Amino acid sequence: MGKKIEIHDFEPKIMAFVCKWCTYSGADLAGTSRMDYSPNVRMIRLPCSGRIDPQFMIKAFEQGADGVIISGCHPGDCHYNEGNYYARRRNTTFRQLMDFHGIDIERIEFSWISAAEAIKWTEVIDAFTEKVRELGRHPQYDDEIVDPYAQFLVQKDQESA
Amino acid sequence: MIEQIRNQARKLLEDGDVDVVIGYAEGSDPSRTTPVFIRKAKDVDKLIYDPRCINSLPLYLNKRHEYTRKGWKKTAIIGKGCDIRAIVQLIAENQLKRDEIYILGVPCEGQVSHPEKWDGSLHDGNRATKCIGCDVMTPHETDFFPGTKPDVDRSSPYEVTSPKVANLMELELDKRFAFWRTDFDRCFKCYACREVCPHCSCNVCITDETTPSWIDPAAHKKGVFSWHLTRAMHLVGRCTGCGECTRACPMDIQVDLFNQRMKEVVQESYSYKPGYSLEDKHPLITYQVDDREDFIK
Ligand code: SF4
Ligand code: SF4
Ligand code: SF4
Repeated sequence: MGKKIEIHDFEPKIMAFVCKWCTYSGADLAGTSRMDYSPNVRMIRLPCSGRIDPQFMIKAFEQGADGVIISGCHPGDCHYNEGNYYARRRNTTFRQLMDFHGIDIERIEFSWISAAEAIKWTEVIDAFTEKVRELGRHPQYDDEIVDPYAQFLVQKDQESA
Repeated sequence: MIEQIRNQARKLLEDGDVDVVIGYAEGSDPSRTTPVFIRKAKDVDKLIYDPRCINSLPLYLNKRHEYTRKGWKKTAIIGKGCDIRAIVQLIAENQLKRDEIYILGVPCEGQVSHPEKWDGSLHDGNRATKCIGCDVMTPHETDFFPGTKPDVDRSSPYEVTSPKVANLMELELDKRFAFWRTDFDRCFKCYACREVCPHCSCNVCITDETTPSWIDPAAHKKGVFSWHLTRAMHLVGRCTGCGECTRACPMDIQVDLFNQRMKEVVQESYSYKPGYSLEDKHPLITYQVDDREDFIK
């Protein structure tokens, strides 16, 4: 059983910041139900989508993420009543800011996923992974300053090969 | 006009109504003015006001600044319209109380963008971009105003005054990215753009924090992108467009373009213009159930 493992040239690194009441439980349900979904996502659990500071997304991109997913409870379902409404406003403006910087806002996905929507979660992840794979590596740091120690290790590796 | 302001400032200081008057005085060369803090009535004749007074004085009202810790109970400040917008925004954000401040409003005809461009008069060749289409040349919130204040309609939406914003928005995404990448190559993180901003009120800026280090402190592209995204995000809906960040940048990076673009976004999405009302809530600390969510899956 299980999905056939496909080999791709580029595996995007995706960060997901999720609310623990809805999306995290939904992802948990997907896991306990043994659903298959793309393994490119690293998830960080937060108390609420309203807790997702744009700083987290900035940091994720800075640290080499190629895409970011933000997800929480549907409007009206927030455990704290209104956190997701603030998240919505914050992201409306943040996306425009990224766009003005010339960063493709397709790299940021925002989705409402409830604790029961395990299937939606797997679909969102799979579709987003495919999308980011097509977009390619995030161009922000193409010529980033390379860590000299990592460089040294790579060289050693190549010498011994 | 300045005589009336001086007289009022003298009266306020003599009566002990205010502890200090913040204004402008002649600077180190004829093309410049400098901010002054006047404590004694005999010094009020130093005060001047003309198109060389582009500095934004409300910076000195920001709690982060040491001047606010001198124990002055009440501060009088000379304000042109755009500076008064900054003061109003500070009050709306609870950074300042209205009764701590005495606003000496001045009618403004526009300001010269750079001292080097001063040739004795103000004209289209040296006018600052923020002064084009300004609707607060007659200031909106004042305690004293020389003469009578005419009524001005300030209901029109915010207009982006720098044509560069529209030009950039027309570019392809990767061209825009390339533009910023080349521009950010010059940024060496002196943080002058933060230091001059009247709305960067944090005692410890997030970029100075080290545990955890939220923004890569190095001045290569990683850190610089993070810095500018963060700074612009923190000023969404708060920037009152004084343009000081760009003017202060030693590398000539137009940092206020982000702020102008974000003002446009906030205007389109939430019909909010910062700096006009003492009561209006900042758009990101409030919400409507039916806000736009066209981008949400
Ligand atoms: S961001 Fe720049 S233009 Fe806006 S208030 Fe601050 S210094 Fe002025
Ligand atoms: S950039 Fe942000 S954290 Fe830093 S001083 Fe300005 S508002 Fe505060
Ligand atoms: S003032 Fe200019 S060089 Fe200094 S940190 Fe700001 S953008 Fe960079």
